[in-house]
Amino acid sequence: MKKYIYILPFLLMLFMQIGCTKILDITPEQSIDAETAIENDQDAEALIVGAYSIMGGGALYGTNLLMIPDLLASEDVCSWRGTFKSYDEIASKSMAVDNADVERTWTNAYSAINNANILLANLDKIKDADTKNTLSGEAYFIRAILHFELVRLYGLQWGAQAGNTQAGIVLKVTPTINEAQAFLKTPRSSVKEVYTLVINDLKQAISQLPEDNGTRADKYTAQAFLSRVYMQQGDYVNARDAANTIIESGKYKMNASVSAVFSNKNTDESIWEIQQNDQNNAGESNDGMATFFASLDGIGRADVRMNLDFVDSYETGDYRKSSWYYIGTGRRSGNTYCSKWISFSQNLPVVRIAEMYLNRAECNLRLGTTVGDTPANDLEKIRNVVRVGLSPISNPTINDVMNERFHELAFEGLRIHDFRRLKMATGDYVWNDNHLVFPIPQRDINASEKVITQNPGY
Amino acid sequence: MKNVLLLCFGTIFSITLYAQKNVKGTVTSVESKLPISGASISVKGSNLGAVSDEKGLFQLNVPQNYSKITISAVGYVSQELMISDQMNVALETSKSINLDEVLVVGYGTKSKKDVTSSISRVAAKDFQEQPVSTFEQALQGRSSGVFINAGSGKLGQGLKIRVRGISSISANQQPFVVIDGVPVVSQSLSSSSEPDNPLATLNPDDIESIEVLKDASSSAIYGARASNGVLLVTTKSGKKGKTKVNAGVSHGWTTPTHYQEFLNAAQYKELFTEAAKNADWDAAEEFEYETGTTDWNENYNTNWSRAAFQNGYVKQYTASLTGGDAKTRFLFSGSYNDQKGIIIGNRLARATGRLNFEHSINEIFKVGANLSLNQTNNYRVSSDNAFSNPVQLNALPPLQPMYDKDDGLLNRNTLYYNSLIEVEGNNRNINKIYRTISSGFIEANILSNLKFRSQNGIDWTNLQETNFLGRRTEDGAPGGYSYEGQTTSAIFTSTNTLSWLKGNDNYTVDALAGIEYQNGKMTGMDVTGRAFPSDKFTRIASAAIISGGSSSSTQYRFLSYFLRSNLKLFDKYLIGASVRADGSSRFSKNKPYGIFPAVSAGWIISEEKFLQNSNAISFLKLRSSFGRTGNAEIGNFSSLTLFSSGSYANVAGIIASQIGDPNLSWEKTDQFDIGLDFGFAKNRISGEIDYFFKNTKDLLLNVPLPSVNGFTSITKNIGDMENKGIEFVLNADIIRNTNFKWTSSFNISTYRNKVTRLVAPVLPTGRNLGRLAVGAPFGQFYTKKYMGVDPANGDALYMAADGSKTNDYAAAVDTVVGNPNPDYFGGWNNKFSYKGFELNLLFQFVKGGDIYNLAGIFQSVNGDYFDNQTVDQMRYWKKPGDITDIPQPRLYDGNGTSKSSRWVQDGSYLRFKSITLNYNLPKSISKKIGAENVKLFVSGQNLLTSTKYTGYDPEVNTQFIGSVNLNHDFYTPPLAKTFLIGINIDL
Repeated sequence: MKKYIYILPFLLMLFMQIGCTKILDITPEQSIDAETAIENDQDAEALIVGAYSIMGGGALYGTNLLMIPDLLASEDVCSWRGTFKSYDEIASKSMAVDNADVERTWTNAYSAINNANILLANLDKIKDADTKNTLSGEAYFIRAILHFELVRLYGLQWGAQAGNTQAGIVLKVTPTINEAQAFLKTPRSSVKEVYTLVINDLKQAISQLPEDNGTRADKYTAQAFLSRVYMQQGDYVNARDAANTIIESGKYKMNASVSAVFSNKNTDESIWEIQQNDQNNAGESNDGMATFFASLDGIGRADVRMNLDFVDSYETGDYRKSSWYYIGTGRRSGNTYCSKWISFSQNLPVVRIAEMYLNRAECNLRLGTTVGDTPANDLEKIRNVVRVGLSPISNPTINDVMNERFHELAFEGLRIHDFRRLKMATGDYVWNDNHLVFPIPQRDINASEKVITQNPGY
Repeated sequence: MKNVLLLCFGTIFSITLYAQKNVKGTVTSVESKLPISGASISVKGSNLGAVSDEKGLFQLNVPQNYSKITISAVGYVSQELMISDQMNVALETSKSINLDEVLVVGYGTKSKKDVTSSISRVAAKDFQEQPVSTFEQALQGRSSGVFINAGSGKLGQGLKIRVRGISSISANQQPFVVIDGVPVVSQSLSSSSEPDNPLATLNPDDIESIEVLKDASSSAIYGARASNGVLLVTTKSGKKGKTKVNAGVSHGWTTPTHYQEFLNAAQYKELFTEAAKNADWDAAEEFEYETGTTDWNENYNTNWSRAAFQNGYVKQYTASLTGGDAKTRFLFSGSYNDQKGIIIGNRLARATGRLNFEHSINEIFKVGANLSLNQTNNYRVSSDNAFSNPVQLNALPPLQPMYDKDDGLLNRNTLYYNSLIEVEGNNRNINKIYRTISSGFIEANILSNLKFRSQNGIDWTNLQETNFLGRRTEDGAPGGYSYEGQTTSAIFTSTNTLSWLKGNDNYTVDALAGIEYQNGKMTGMDVTGRAFPSDKFTRIASAAIISGGSSSSTQYRFLSYFLRSNLKLFDKYLIGASVRADGSSRFSKNKPYGIFPAVSAGWIISEEKFLQNSNAISFLKLRSSFGRTGNAEIGNFSSLTLFSSGSYANVAGIIASQIGDPNLSWEKTDQFDIGLDFGFAKNRISGEIDYFFKNTKDLLLNVPLPSVNGFTSITKNIGDMENKGIEFVLNADIIRNTNFKWTSSFNISTYRNKVTRLVAPVLPTGRNLGRLAVGAPFGQFYTKKYMGVDPANGDALYMAADGSKTNDYAAAVDTVVGNPNPDYFGGWNNKFSYKGFELNLLFQFVKGGDIYNLAGIFQSVNGDYFDNQTVDQMRYWKKPGDITDIPQPRLYDGNGTSKSSRWVQDGSYLRFKSITLNYNLPKSISKKIGAENVKLFVSGQNLLTSTKYTGYDPEVNTQFIGSVNLNHDFYTPPLAKTFLIGINIDL
């Protein structure tokens, strides 16, 4: 009978394990549960930083929003030579409805917008008043500029239809943090409604953002985008005034060297740039501006090749020609490439003061005004003997300003947007050609059960 | 749960004890009269047992309420006898295939005769002389219902193992692997896009048997992990008797099974001159423009495709020591295996050590441990998709020289990367794996028929990855690149079981109750550095730029309870039932536990009176089972809504990254199986036939979301899929003369997979063809159908909607163009023995299973771009009226280059998988050199392959493109053909 004794310790071992079902609760260490994600100032700031990190990715300012506008209007300027089918389709205006880059720009923009909306829904968790203002301003800024970028690419240009009733994009101003919200099906708003939101959000951002916010967006960044938005609408008065506010602030000035804004970080010339370094950048082999543009030993795929006629169209002696273009020495060597983008870790200027001078000059010329300064003086900031090796133009015409603009801001993500607002054709494609407008990603049309509609021509 | 267990223990306590009786005896052979050592003597209806010693002696204490004992030994016919004090038993040599074979089942063992489920077994003796680099390879062609595709000739690469079809879409499809009771990691830990195979770290020589649990009644005891089948691996153990030393040495030579042929310089020039002319280009100018060289006008003729391959070798050294007495048994083994691959730069070197040990403290307690420690160095080759994959060298024009004529170094000015640079100098890509799978157990015979067992084990793996690329390499330029990573996986498992047995002449009933706890944790860290002073510096300490660094961690736990009971009535009616409840941290809070029941029944018809005296039918058993298993490989935190981190400007942020379904649960598979085991003519002919039907529900699928809400998909349980099939095994003892013997074993299996529910069809992506659609098999090939060449103008033709031919690709329609799943597959094994000689032949075959040569889009496109082309492209269309399947070459023009069925081929093959000839030296000679036995052997593997597939090897599965794209071949190297000689000595 004493054998029974042996059973006891084993039974004890068995029951010890039965007792604790709590051991099945494991929380991840690399991510956090949504329920406890936003609790204080620090968490809220992290949300905004997260949105910047999405914006710095290749889908947005890390590559696509800076590269695609020039690819879409690449005729006579550059050509796509790479193997990426999605960019090839964009350059040849034959985007498929499942084009990978059309898709990732759309989805990533809304992912960053969601971060911004989650912050706006959690403002009550932020205790410090200044922090609350700044973060809220940044959230409005992010929401505004991404809606703006999308409506420019996925909708017909402002002015293409009377009353701007043409389909824009889906307005997203509510957060998604649960399954029901994730399944919401919202139709596209008109281009007009999108611009209204963009302008309101930017104004809200301007009212809340500080004058200096380190390397993140400040009052003037929002102001610069506002100027861009008005330019896109052809609202020269407001575009001029917004540009003027920034210039008048005195916070920014042109660098003496044309390459400094690209090779150095956060120079005086730059209003807002995407911060990159050796560890955090848009990519080193399949993504990133340097990856697609550069042809140096070990750097770049040499996919965007310059058209020699365009490079030669810089005037003789223009430093920009020699500083911004070079003969490749890496992949596809021997051809000409753009040296604005040659390093994986360089910062990516999104808006610089040169654009604001050009905006103000163009608006003043078109309006016959000289708010802030004369067009000649504004143009001289860009084109002078010290900076580019050319003498200034004393009485610039609108053509002179546009010529300067296209040469100064080439390959910085403005070309197709300028062509559209100026109603200029690129190659055989007129400004409001359906082929210049991205398709709405088919995946979203399917997932929304066609509540989201496709663009004409697809 | 508690109540069930209490009830169970209540039953146990009600058993009363009787006094014991001491039984002694000897076991001898009828024929030779010599004692049989190692025979097992078990008391029927209890756990009690003993093993005969060298003199055939045994003794054991038997409680008085037991009346029979069973005596069995490998190679002899078992006997069941009434108990007496002194038992002298003579066993007859078994002349037939043994139905008394003991199978390893979940948490126990069972006689094959009494099994009511479907289990395949491969024993060590079936593959021990063959150079398998990883033990699962041994199952190929030998195990019915188990489809194995090695996928690639790269050493140490993950194999595809599918038990009874494909049972998941986005969760794991590989079987659950349990080694000596310890569940192990069989998933890749590596950072590469191509999975490595952690099981390749095991020494195949240590393995005694591999059992594959195929049906629900055998596998449901593993509950939520068993939907893909279960592989039970048992390592060898020590035997009572004289200490035996065994040592073996073998050496082998390897070459690729097949080379693909590409154009030589003259052919290349001819084709591209024609292609350029037809598209109004100048070939020499274009070649210069694309390559930046004037090699077109030089006279080089480089065979780049062969440069990817080398002659490899296999060297294997093994030694083991086994022995023990009545109280202690042990096995000590060590091995060193060094394989040089057939692809340049590829090598696998493995050192293993093992100690398996068992000690009986007294009649009640037994303790033991299985300890193993392995180290593997795997010199890896780049992913198939990388330009640095040596096989991609076949794309380089033969007109370009291998070495630069100026500096004599490897030529860097080639059309694509000259990946030979990847293996020069200090460049390396090494995975160093340290692994131990070890466990200890204690067993207590609490009562004569009640046993407690507690086993605690750990599977600990440490993977160190080192990748250095010097400045001349593509990814290492301009200053050198180095990646170093460490991943550690530790899985602790504690299993505690109580097993109980009771029976008499009319019935036997057994029961098992258990609790299992498992904790798995994986952590990793890595650093990337760039810019080194020179290629002589390879460690990150010397890097000027630390370009990346990360660490990661993930974890899961399981807590499970299980019960199983089997009843045998009158030695002919068998009933079994089991249930397992699995709780896991992976499951959502709303559904923390899954229940997985199974029932089975068997009827040994041959024990019935009407067949008992039949001469023709010696054994006949009908069995059937039904049950549910699950697939818990659903990701560790899939049910949660999560924020992950994302940093910007050196500040860390968070991103709403995953939207979770709070009701997310495991995938469920209901499986029905019916089978017949038979033996004819005194079991000289035996076999089994099985039909199965598997219905898998609640497959995890990513449901697409409107991304405007911030998320692109949510993982939900929505898909359904079914698999059904037939398996047939036939064994025959064809000739059994005293000197000459021939046994043969044949197996053939089928599975038919069909997706029955999806959210939306998953269409082929990019250049791939695999799709998922309701009513179609998993991975069905779907694209435009290639219809050959228009004889009038050389245009490529495709099938239009109305079935007519069109040269307008856009007007062609997508259609089903192939099925990568096999129609049937199997193997045929033959064993001949004549005196000291023994010859083993294994054929293995797969019928059906289309292959898509994805590289064809570059290498078999009638000179559309400067990639070197396969020789068949020389059949190109030349003039009106030509009937050919190769369109007119037109440089850059895309004539026939778009994705289509042009590169889909039948993947059927018949392979002479292995041949082994053993010769055992006559005892008289071996005794002279002091050895018990000396065996010499020669062996070959993959010596012949018959296939219509024109790529490298029909056994292919490019791995980086994901599981839906089955049987795609993208510059994937062929398997190795091996010839091996060796010697094995028993002392």
